[in-house]
Amino acid sequence: MSQFNLYQEEFQPSPIKNIWLEFKQSHFALAGLAVLLVFCTIAIVGPIFAPYDPSLQNTNALLLPPSWASNGSISHLLGTDSLGRDVFARVLYGSQTTFVSSVVLVAVALIVGVTLGTLAGMSSGVRSSILNHFLDALLAIPTLLIAIIIVAILGTGLINSMLAIILALIPQFVHQTRTFVRNEMEKDYILLDKLDGAGKFRIFWHSILPAMFELLAVQSTIALSIAIIDISALGFLNLGAQGVTVELGAMLSQSLESAYVAPWLVIVPGLCVFMLVLSVNIVGEGLRSALRNRLIH
Amino acid sequence: MKPKKHLNAFNLALFRCFAIGLAGLLQACSQPTETVDKDGITFCSESSPNTFNPQLDTSSTTADASAHQIYDRLLEFDPENGRIEPGLASSWLVSRDGLTYTFQLRKDVKFHTTSYFTPTRNFNADDVIFSIDRWRKASHPYHAVSGGSYPYFDSLNLQNTIKDVKRINGYRVEISLHKPDSSFLANLATDFSVVLSAEYAMQLMAAGSPSQLDKSPIGTGPYRFVGYRKDQYIRFERNPDYFLETKGAKHLIFDITPKSSLRFAKLITGECDAVAFPSQADLEVISQREDLTLMQKPGLNVGFWAFNTSKPPFNNPNVRKALSLAIDKTSLIEAIYLGQATRAKNLVPSASWAYQPNASESGYNPVEARRLLDEAGIAYDFAMTIWAMPVQRAYNPNAMKMAQLMSAYLEAVGINVEIVSYDWNRFRENLRLGMHDSVLIGWSADNGDPDNFYRPLLTCAAIPSGTNRAMWCNRQYDAIIEAALLTDDFEQRKVLYHRANQLLFDEAPLVPIAHAFQYQAISNDIDGMVINPFGGIRFDNVVRKP
Amino acid sequence: MITLLIRYLNLLTITFGVLIVFSFALAYLFPGDVLTNMSGIVPQSDAQRQALEKAYKLDQSIFSQFWHYLSNLFAGNWGVSFVSQADLLSEIKIAFPATIELTLYALLVAVFIGIPIGFIGGLNHHKPFDFGVVCYSVISYSFPVFWLALIFITIFSLQAGMFPLSGRINLLFDIPHQSGFILLDIFYSNIDNKSAAYIDAFKHLALPTLSIAIVTTAIFIRFARRSIMDVMEMGYIDAAKSRGFTTTQIFFKHGLRNALLPILPLMALQVSTLITNAMVVETIFSWPGIGSWLIQAIYQRDYPAIRMGMLVVSVFVVTLTITIEFLSRAIDPARDRFERVSV
Repeated sequence: MSQFNLYQEEFQPSPIKNIWLEFKQSHFALAGLAVLLVFCTIAIVGPIFAPYDPSLQNTNALLLPPSWASNGSISHLLGTDSLGRDVFARVLYGSQTTFVSSVVLVAVALIVGVTLGTLAGMSSGVRSSILNHFLDALLAIPTLLIAIIIVAILGTGLINSMLAIILALIPQFVHQTRTFVRNEMEKDYILLDKLDGAGKFRIFWHSILPAMFELLAVQSTIALSIAIIDISALGFLNLGAQGVTVELGAMLSQSLESAYVAPWLVIVPGLCVFMLVLSVNIVGEGLRSALRNRLIH
Repeated sequence: MKPKKHLNAFNLALFRCFAIGLAGLLQACSQPTETVDKDGITFCSESSPNTFNPQLDTSSTTADASAHQIYDRLLEFDPENGRIEPGLASSWLVSRDGLTYTFQLRKDVKFHTTSYFTPTRNFNADDVIFSIDRWRKASHPYHAVSGGSYPYFDSLNLQNTIKDVKRINGYRVEISLHKPDSSFLANLATDFSVVLSAEYAMQLMAAGSPSQLDKSPIGTGPYRFVGYRKDQYIRFERNPDYFLETKGAKHLIFDITPKSSLRFAKLITGECDAVAFPSQADLEVISQREDLTLMQKPGLNVGFWAFNTSKPPFNNPNVRKALSLAIDKTSLIEAIYLGQATRAKNLVPSASWAYQPNASESGYNPVEARRLLDEAGIAYDFAMTIWAMPVQRAYNPNAMKMAQLMSAYLEAVGINVEIVSYDWNRFRENLRLGMHDSVLIGWSADNGDPDNFYRPLLTCAAIPSGTNRAMWCNRQYDAIIEAALLTDDFEQRKVLYHRANQLLFDEAPLVPIAHAFQYQAISNDIDGMVINPFGGIRFDNVVRKP
Repeated sequence: MITLLIRYLNLLTITFGVLIVFSFALAYLFPGDVLTNMSGIVPQSDAQRQALEKAYKLDQSIFSQFWHYLSNLFAGNWGVSFVSQADLLSEIKIAFPATIELTLYALLVAVFIGIPIGFIGGLNHHKPFDFGVVCYSVISYSFPVFWLALIFITIFSLQAGMFPLSGRINLLFDIPHQSGFILLDIFYSNIDNKSAAYIDAFKHLALPTLSIAIVTTAIFIRFARRSIMDVMEMGYIDAAKSRGFTTTQIFFKHGLRNALLPILPLMALQVSTLITNAMVVETIFSWPGIGSWLIQAIYQRDYPAIRMGMLVVSVFVVTLTITIEFLSRAIDPARDRFERVSV
């Protein structure tokens, strides 16, 4: 077949590809993405690399320092905690719990929030305005307070703390979706859809949702970083993951009793949360400036 | 379009403002100023006291907060050698048959003058009679106030040992007993036998708020009560009218800090001058640091794992034995006490004269344990609770961690463990009601007599008073313990206690785990602290070094 | 303007109503005895139970129960804590100002450091300084606040010994409780060494305030930076420039006011984050505020305390949020009420 084009065509990458081209301009964003991918890998296959069972107690190796310290042992890479459990294995499992539960809860909050936001955005009138404001006001209640109440009703646990954070994240999605949908509804292409006789659901599914994709991507990274911090904060306060569930925040709070003699027990899980959040934020930041630049160029 | 130029001068100005502000802030913070009152001592205690009257509670938290600060007793223990010394009683006389005790009281003792009470008279015989009658007589108007339970005296059945408390004159009291009791004087010197003010009690009764007696306490002790906020602090002030020459600090603060790691951190930053129950993990650091001192003494205590024998299947001695075989005590002691304890074979430690070096003891044998469990019809995946006390004690510095370790051992023989913990006061209340399957707890001696271990921990009378955590009632055992008190002959008593040990081994109502050393970590800025092996902490002579 | 005020007052009332109904419903939702959840008293006998049920109208319909609850609430009769039997209203009166104080100082630090830095960064867009500002804000925004607090304690308290790590003031200063704000209370107290007490109180404030402020500062930097960048691209700035004003003049005459306006409503969103962080930090620094009080209540399953604590904190946050919203709408009526500046 002929390899040349008859007409000179301008190369037009797809929107997603366009974002990627902009995104990879920034080295920082790429580095953040790499770290995030490492965490994703840990979340999926991390436990395979764990040298020990995370709850295996070894009373012969209590509070062992990391292997690079002078009296560390090579068999425990990041040392052991006060019950002789391997810190490296626990960090792998803990990162998995923290990251996966955050991703799941963001997904749930996203779905619920977008649904509610769309409903609010597509309806109008005084009733919806009061309802909207009222929801705003109620949901301004701090996450921790919601978590405390849910934990008081249902008891402590990872699932219950996830529930609390979902409740706290929903309003952001509602807000953003509602504003967006409201603005879009006034645009001509929606009017065109309406004239074609499209129903509300069809308008949403085929016209608004594709346009909203970028907004949701950015919002999700923001929500994800909040979710990770909150999940580990609740774990730290002993309101979240309990007992045998290994979670980074809970690890941190367990390490406090020997914080002075074994500072690595405080540093390692905290650093993990920090790196996780930082990578999510950098990727989010990169995504945002990619979106902005794409519009400018 | 982006604005870029000519901003430099403006930027510089803004920058300078910051720099100056920041520098000023840092300077203000790092200025070495004298902020701490020279004449005050801060003690970081581990928990909130239940009450300010040690008659009502056997917890050492309550005793620490009140027994030796606010109150005095008729008799005192010398913390060095355990000998009984004069307290509010300047001298005493025991009749030849051991049934009548006569106490001569001090005349110059004043009760505290505080914002809520001003005494009109000095301490006298009425106060002694009031204090004893309150727990002794069920008909006493104050008996039912604040719950009406006097666990220490109830567990010893002391209210039925005393026949009468008589006033001879204003400064002489006579106590007569139904039967001789070789530990009676020692009991009067314990933390719990404090002397309250009868005048204050009458005033409160007239005002209709009798329970204030135990909340806003009045005593004769070296410190008077100023204020208390639960989970925050207790504030004391030196009693200027104290009858003994003491050189204690003017202010005494109990900074209530439940986490041992936080207490340790506060000791390092100088926010505490002394801390209760330093964590075993930090002991080495404390002894290495030049600004801290670690005091230690072999403790008169025992940490144990008690089964609730009133609940099936724990009412079966074979199940209890099986469970005791399933745990490896040696590793527990290694991990929890970090070697700062001796393995317990029975209730009393080697420091006591009743110690039995050749006592039988169960070892670690999971195979045998499983066999016994099968025999008793306990299925795999049987679930039980281990209650882990929420506070640190010398006899068990970290019950939660011990419970976690034990659950791994028990899982190996097919038993699922749920670890339960509550707020300390509620924890003990629920234990008293028998809601547990098993519990990790212990006992510290209040006096040097072995009866102080055997009786409150396992006799039938100690079940309702809430010191018998195994809820175990055995007539044979009670008879042995009873017989041991009727004689003063040590050898004879020893034989009886050894017989009790064998019975405990056969029945296994509890698994003794360890006798721990007693530690006190203090800052080198303070002086005059001594470890009191017979109960509560004392601050009467603690001062800040000049 | 009046309509706006009425609208917001209306909103406030409805929200309060819902919160009160919710706190009432919690007595039924929490595990355990409704009577105990409501009153905080565990009845010791049947006679006492009946008397209490009568007092709380539990024998009557749910509406009269609620009405009774409502009148008790406004009469200041909030029941007692189920663990300590202390009066809840007076407990909250002691604990809550401590939290507000901490939050307020953290907010002030964040506003007075974050906004100017953000402005400088925004004005120097695409320069190394701006890059540094962005990096700093992304990094400090990513700190889990509890970990940050622990690191501060390790460095400044345990290693350097510069700052104490717990409480509001050395307990040897006997400051009587009056307003609940420690700095005011020192002023009102009659102790002899006030300046020493002030220095001690500031030292206690430093680390917790800093821990909370760092995260919030990062957020404010981003708000301010984006806001000034948007404003400086407006036509009227170009117009001013063409008339020959220097950038400093332009910034103070046109830029500052217009860039601050969109930041105010964003602050409303931060109140909740700020209080959450304050509550977490309180438990680490043993700060005797509502956060550590509520966490303690959870550990002890003190349901009456949780109910009341939740009501007070949420009413406070909601009031603050709605007030800020109202103010920003009143100052800037042109703002579309659904529009929020993207960060």
